[in-house]
Amino acid sequence: MDTNFEWRLEGRCYKLGHDVPHAGGVVPSSIIAGRYFDPKDIIPHLFEESDPGFSARCKPGDIIVSGRNFGMGPKMNGYIAMQALGLGLVCESMPFLAYRAAVGCGLRVMTDCVNVTELCDTGDQLEVDFRNGFFVNHTRKIQREYPPIADSLLELIALGGNTGWLKQWWQAQQAASDAQ
Amino acid sequence: MGMTAVEKTLALKSGLQSVKPGDVVYPEPDFIMIHDGVVMGAKRELDALGITQLAAPDKVIMVTDHDVIYGSARAAERGAFNRDAAKQWGVKNFFDVGRGGHGHVFPMENGMLLPGMFYFDNDRHSTNAGAIGAFGFRMGTEISRVLATGTNWVMVPKTVRIRIKGNLKAGVHARDVGFRIATLLDRGVLEADLDYRVLEYAGDLNQFDLAARTALCSSPTEMRAYGVFLPPSPAIVAEAKSKSKEAFTPIYPDADAHYEANLELDVSDLEPQIALPGGVQHAVDLREVEGKKIDHVFLGSCGSSMYEDLVAAAAILKGRRVASHVRMFIAPGSEQSTRRMASDGMLQIFIEAGAVMLPAGCGPCNDAVVGPVHSGEISISTAANNNAGRFGAKDAQLYLGSPATVAASAVAGSIADPRGMLLRPRPPWRLSKL
Repeated sequence: MDTNFEWRLEGRCYKLGHDVPHAGGVVPSSIIAGRYFDPKDIIPHLFEESDPGFSARCKPGDIIVSGRNFGMGPKMNGYIAMQALGLGLVCESMPFLAYRAAVGCGLRVMTDCVNVTELCDTGDQLEVDFRNGFFVNHTRKIQREYPPIADSLLELIALGGNTGWLKQWWQAQQAASDAQ
Repeated sequence: MGMTAVEKTLALKSGLQSVKPGDVVYPEPDFIMIHDGVVMGAKRELDALGITQLAAPDKVIMVTDHDVIYGSARAAERGAFNRDAAKQWGVKNFFDVGRGGHGHVFPMENGMLLPGMFYFDNDRHSTNAGAIGAFGFRMGTEISRVLATGTNWVMVPKTVRIRIKGNLKAGVHARDVGFRIATLLDRGVLEADLDYRVLEYAGDLNQFDLAARTALCSSPTEMRAYGVFLPPSPAIVAEAKSKSKEAFTPIYPDADAHYEANLELDVSDLEPQIALPGGVQHAVDLREVEGKKIDHVFLGSCGSSMYEDLVAAAAILKGRRVASHVRMFIAPGSEQSTRRMASDGMLQIFIEAGAVMLPAGCGPCNDAVVGPVHSGEISISTAANNNAGRFGAKDAQLYLGSPATVAASAVAGSIADPRGMLLRPRPPWRLSKL
C-alpha cells in the first residue's frame, strides 16, 4: 500500500441534512442517467442543485458532513467527483451500498458517526483522520472518536478505488509472471 | 454461538470456521453472473487496464435478459459486442438472445443454481437465489474485479428473521405476502431495517413452491435487503436433485444463530394486495382500489415469471379476453417455460386472450426497452417495483399485484379481485384440468 497516502484531512466543513439522495441531492439526475464517469464532466455539477457554485468554492481537504441516510441509490458519480476534488465525507449513516460505492471510488469516507451534524456547521474548520476515526472541530474546540475505515478497505481506498486497485493488482501479476 | 444461513455460507465459501456480521471476507463463488447491459462497461474497463483474461471463464455465466429483442440499433450493437466479448473471454456459458431467459430465474429451473451455492452478480435481483436456498451477491460495476480476480470483498451482513404463520387463502399469492411485509416494515409495524441485511424466512414455508419462494424474495429486495433466504424444503431439495448433474449440500441456519431482529407475520387472513404507485411498500387490500380503470398490464419480471406464475394467470385468462382498451404483455422467466407453454397449450390461452408474448427476460421492467407506458397511463403489473418511471413516463401510475390479480385486471379492464374469476378453488392449478 502507498504509505504516503494522506488519511488526515483538514479543511472547511460543508454541512448537509438528512436523507440527501444521490440523484438530485449529490448530483443532478441527468449526470447519472447520462452515465458520466469522468470527474471533469461531473465536478461542475457536484451539489449543483442545493449549493450552486460548490465545486468552484471547495478546496482539497474540505469535509462534507451529512446526516442520516446519505446518498440513497448506489450510484458512484458524485463520489468520483468528491474523490477527484480531494474532499472527505463524514456521515451519520449511509445505505451500505452507497458506502460501498464511495469506497469503490477511493473516497475517504466515514459512516455511522452518530450525531456528527450536531458538532459542526458549514464554515467550521475541521480535521478528520479517516484511518483512526478522530474528528476535531477546531472552531468549536470539540473532539470525538468515530468508527474509522475498516483495515481491510484501506488499501482499496489508498489505491484510488476499484480501478486503481485492479491496475496495481494486474501490474503485480505481470511482474510475478515476468520473474518466473 | 451458531450462525445464520448467510454466515454459514460465507464462512464455508471463504474457508473459515466462522464469520460474524461486519467481518470482511473474500468468498470463492460457485459462479459469476453478468447480464447483457453491463458486459460492455466491464469489458472496456478491463481492456483499458490490459486485463484480457478472466480468472475463471468456466465459472462465468453471461445472460441476455435486459434487452432481448433489440428495439434499437444501439441495442443490436451492444448484442454484437457481447457476443464478441464472450468469444474473447472464452465464456462457454453464454446465453445469447433466445437462450436461457431471465438470469435470476432460469438457473434455478435448469439445475445450474443449487441449494447451498454462493455466487457474485452485477445485479441486485440476485437475491432470488434465496428461493432455492442459495445466495447471490450484487457487485454492481465492481463485477469487473470479480471477473479479473475471481472474488471481491464482502462485508458479512446482519440477518433479520421473519417467521411466517398460517397458510394463504385461495387466490392469495406469495407476492401479496411480499407487498405486505414491505408495507409493515415501512410503517414500523414490523420493526427492522433491511438495508444490507439478509432476510431469512422461517415458519410455515412448506406451502411455498419454488415460484412462490422466488416471489417472497422480491419485495424485501426493494426494501434494500442484500440477500433473502428460505431454508429449502425437502420438496425443493428433491426438485433440485432431479435437475442437477452435480452433488450439492443444502445449508440451514443453526438453531442458536443470532438475529438482529425476529419478526412474525400471520398470513392466514391476508387479502390480495395492491402496491400503490411509488413503491412496493405502499400496499393496501385490493378492495380499496378495485375498479380503478387501467391501460397497461405486464406479467413477468424476476419476481413473478416462473411457470407456476404463468399458470396462475392462465387459470384466469382461459376462455376470456383481455379488455379491448388494455394492452397486456407477458414475459416468461425462461425459454424453458415458453417451450413448456407451447407444448401444453398455455401459450394458446394467452394468445387467444389477446395478450402479447415477449421473449423470456425482464420485459418492460428494464428501463422500458419494450412495452412502456405513456404519460398519464395507468398500469398494473408484477414488475419488481413500481417506482416512478420504472417502465416509461414518470407521471404514469404504476400499480403492482400478484400474477392472478394482474390477469383478472386485464380481463376486467380495471383492478379486479382474481377470486371472482378462479375456475378452480385453490392451487396448485393443473392446466389439463382448467
